[in-house]
Amino acid sequence: MEEKKDEVVVEHKKKIVVVPGELITDERKKLGQHVFIENGKVYSDTLGLSYPSSSVAYVVPLSGRYLPQRDDLIIGIVERLTMKGAMVNINSIYSCYLSADSVRDKLELGTIVSAKVDSVNETNEADLFDTRVFFGGEIISVTPSKVPRMVGKNGSMLSVLKEGTGCNLLVGRNGWVWAKDGDTAKLVKALRLIEKEAHFDNLTVKVEAFLKGKKVK
Amino acid sequence: MENILWNVKTDKVLSLIKEGKRADERKLDEYRSISITKNISENADGSAKVKLGDTEVYAGVKMMPGTPYPDNPDQGTISVGAELMPLASPEFEVGPPREKAIELARVVDRCIRESKTVDFKSLCVREGELVWIVFIDTYVSNYDGNAFDATSIAALAALNLVQIPKLEDDKIVKGEYTGKLKISKQPLLSTVAKIGGKLVSDPTLVEEKAMEARFSCGTVDDTIMCAFQKGEAGSFTVEEIDECIDRSFKNSKEIRKLV
Amino acid sequence: MAKKNEKIEYVKNGKRVDGRKVDELRPIKMEVGVLPNADGSAYLEWGQNKVLVGVHGPKEALPKHKQNPYKGLVRFVYRMATFSVPDRKNPRPGRREVEISKVSGEALEKAIFLENFPNCAIDVYLEIFDSNAGSRAAGITAASLAIADAGIPMKDLVCAVGVGKAGGEIILDLNKTEEDAPDAVDIPIAIMPRTKEITLLQMDGLFTKAEWKKASKLAFEGCDQLKKMQEEALRKKFDTAEKKK
Repeated sequence: MEEKKDEVVVEHKKKIVVVPGELITDERKKLGQHVFIENGKVYSDTLGLSYPSSSVAYVVPLSGRYLPQRDDLIIGIVERLTMKGAMVNINSIYSCYLSADSVRDKLELGTIVSAKVDSVNETNEADLFDTRVFFGGEIISVTPSKVPRMVGKNGSMLSVLKEGTGCNLLVGRNGWVWAKDGDTAKLVKALRLIEKEAHFDNLTVKVEAFLKGKKVK
Repeated sequence: MENILWNVKTDKVLSLIKEGKRADERKLDEYRSISITKNISENADGSAKVKLGDTEVYAGVKMMPGTPYPDNPDQGTISVGAELMPLASPEFEVGPPREKAIELARVVDRCIRESKTVDFKSLCVREGELVWIVFIDTYVSNYDGNAFDATSIAALAALNLVQIPKLEDDKIVKGEYTGKLKISKQPLLSTVAKIGGKLVSDPTLVEEKAMEARFSCGTVDDTIMCAFQKGEAGSFTVEEIDECIDRSFKNSKEIRKLV
Repeated sequence: MAKKNEKIEYVKNGKRVDGRKVDELRPIKMEVGVLPNADGSAYLEWGQNKVLVGVHGPKEALPKHKQNPYKGLVRFVYRMATFSVPDRKNPRPGRREVEISKVSGEALEKAIFLENFPNCAIDVYLEIFDSNAGSRAAGITAASLAIADAGIPMKDLVCAVGVGKAGGEIILDLNKTEEDAPDAVDIPIAIMPRTKEITLLQMDGLFTKAEWKKASKLAFEGCDQLKKMQEEALRKKFDTAEKKK
């Protein structure tokens, strides 16, 4: 999964926990996500992490529902069949329509798919493309805002997880993880560890150690 | 779903108010004309109809003997009901009162109760056994905004006319009265809407559709307040609240002359 | 309830019936993220008041005709447990609970970026398990924490407190004894501290404008203290993990 520019997980920079309405900076900076301007000052709109030394003012949220954004890779489950396709639950506010013509395999209730988000309208409804159907496997729910850390820089965390558990793995930006084969119990534990410590440094090293059965200090 | 027509109409309200004007050419702190008709129901122990512009409210009072609350054995009480009648606006529905009507009833109740205009102890017939309960029920029959003030005026006007029924063997003797209920103060609500950042007294329905927030202040005379209620999604600064309070004193003073 | 004929001195040598100063809050404890099944949650103890809040959403507002295409709705449900008051409370919600739900929801709306969520609803469910005056202020303060915990974008936190009068003295955060004073005035007030905007204001009792001036000042000071506690509670959720490390 690709990282978006404003969501880059910067592991070396100093970060602080900010609350909604907290001043991020009164300097002129480029604005990233989850900030707003009032009287020339930049404030956080959410509970999250801010990076004071960054040239962009932005906040990485620590919680919150998944809202689709263009190019997100997501996991969905077919929840309703319609005349010419299906409605797919993507763990967000609205389900997405999927045309039966857009996939080769038959869509049934409960079918697991992966897809990319093509466009999103102002009511947070999404159009999907590049849909693939999955057979078997299980879905693990994780906190959507922690997903970038489960992927890591250039997919580093993802490789560590795959290697350490032997799982066939796809992490959806929407907080649903598809996993098949391998040690999924171990995977769940590793994902929970990432969720709990997502705001700390050297997480990849720590997760790697955990998967190798070493004690995490 | 929000009626999209209101959005077009409120745009007009906002642009007018930005220039300090209103569609009916009132000043921002000015009330619509008020007319009060007394004794609209013979069966009621006191009643009145109030027209505030096109907003129309009927109010009637029934005094009923009842048992006192155990924690106040020597006191009677009042009860205020409010109904937003389905015929008053297409938005009101038949059925038990919704939150809008409940808020209205409770704020009018608060204004009258807290003003201590009715001496609850004087409503005691026999301590611990029998007291009077003053039921003040109000019906909004045409809704063109500011139901709070119209209902409060109607309730007070009706209350001022209340005759205490005669009791025999703890039962009311129909049509006979022992005297007037003593009303010692004249509590009234006065409401200001915040529209486009400006304070607007006595809002009409379309102005209410455009308002961010609403503030009602109850006053008993020229110096003492008895109730506050802020409503709707917007906010007020403390300076704006102070301005609303001053207006309430001023406007209620005029209305008090009519009641 | 105070006995009617018994004279209570509500402030004696600068101290109140429970030993507090006139501008002192009761002890307050806040915790966020207490309910795993809610999108956001908070538990708050404020003196004897105990409040639990859970937030669900934003989600599609149903039924559809309640939807607002311009902004999301806040559906606030304030309820009191049957055992939370001296007598058993009727489990059916009364008029008081309906009104408090309405004004409390409205008190939070301005603080939330509702325009980001057209046609949606944010459901705030609040239960009072024990009460002793000031439960709606405790509820709004806790609900604001739960909304922040749910990751819903906000302009500011909302703090609420009661101010008023007992025995002729203007005091902060009235308890039940003070609320039952013969001349008691109770003013619940909610504030967005950063911009000093008032989002909830109610009053019952007889009060002059000069007294209101004094009371509002006390309320703003009280809310500044509350905001610090709220910020601490939100940060604590993540700092505890650091300590374990």
